[in-house]
Amino acid sequence: MSETTFMGVERDKIDWKPTIDYSKCDYCMECTNFCPHKVFEVRENEEIKLIVRNPDNCVVFCRACSKICGPDALSFPDKNATTQRIKEIRKEENNG
Amino acid sequence: MVENYAVLPCNGLDKCAGVISGKIAKKLYENGKNEIICPVFYRVADAKYNKIAGEHPLLVIDGCPTRCASKLAAEKNLKISKKILITEEAKSHNIELSSGLRILENEKSLIEIILNGLNKAEDKTPQVSDETTFSCNFDYETFQNGKFIFRVPKNPEIYYNENDCWAWVSGNRARIGVTDFVQQNLSDILYFTPPEIGAEIDQFGEVGDIESSKALVALISPVSGKVVAINESLIQKPEMINENPYELGWVAEIELADFESDKELLIGFDKYFELMKKKVENTNG
Repeated sequence: MSETTFMGVERDKIDWKPTIDYSKCDYCMECTNFCPHKVFEVRENEEIKLIVRNPDNCVVFCRACSKICGPDALSFPDKNATTQRIKEIRKEENNG
Repeated sequence: MVENYAVLPCNGLDKCAGVISGKIAKKLYENGKNEIICPVFYRVADAKYNKIAGEHPLLVIDGCPTRCASKLAAEKNLKISKKILITEEAKSHNIELSSGLRILENEKSLIEIILNGLNKAEDKTPQVSDETTFSCNFDYETFQNGKFIFRVPKNPEIYYNENDCWAWVSGNRARIGVTDFVQQNLSDILYFTPPEIGAEIDQFGEVGDIESSKALVALISPVSGKVVAINESLIQKPEMINENPYELGWVAEIELADFESDKELLIGFDKYFELMKKKVENTNG
């Protein structure tokens, strides 16, 4: 059971989070410095130094981190598909 | 004709987009009608460039989304009149930039497109909003957190999304903007990038960006439809969003495509007021 909801739907049922393209990411850490929701986590001593730690903290439809990403390494799911899915879940829950 | 600007490019030497920003700045300077600000020299020569920036509207050209030139402008407390982001321009014109640093055919055409676009933007007539459609008395509910006061209009024709944007619906049009939650969190708003007039927007699509020295947020449209007007005053005075994001600080007007369907995922005053209070408590403690 998710602690938070978005538009009446449990947050963990909504697939909305950044995906890091490690072939482009240069670990500048602008995204993690910028995001106030602690979506990312820096792992200094690991080979992969940045991960998406808390995907459900990501604000649905917000893509601000990708807009400040110099090497264009962050991508998000398709917005219309996400909207559609939210509508479907709401319908299922209302009928259920 | 682009003239009378102080042009501040990022001039990034190790990325193609940065090289393009420098090229465009030089072209604008070479027409003899604009001034140029060297971002490197600006770090050590405040007086020279502060004077130029004070006497001309500022055009900032960022190469990539790291936005070094915008950040420099914010650091120096400069008011930005116009902004270009090279990588975004390349994307929107389907031009792939080279991974090297040379200006080849693709880069040349992008430079030309951007310069032409700048010239056209200078000649364009502003769109006028239908003020009579959206004139009413706002009835606010307020709450305070520390020194910050948050207001939310109670008017039933105003709908909200959970991304802290509002839509005031009247007939087949809606005026949209951000709520006090956004403007208080951003603090002093320095720049507003409007959406294109005529652009078709999906519900929850982006309708412009607002930027402060703290952050950049995209406006997530509560409604779907066509952008028919933008608040031109915000281009020169984006701080109007801080002053009142519901009245003088409105952002755009949309000709509605399917409001009955959009409404399904919107909330009214009661729910939004509670949601905003929760967000403020979580953000500010």
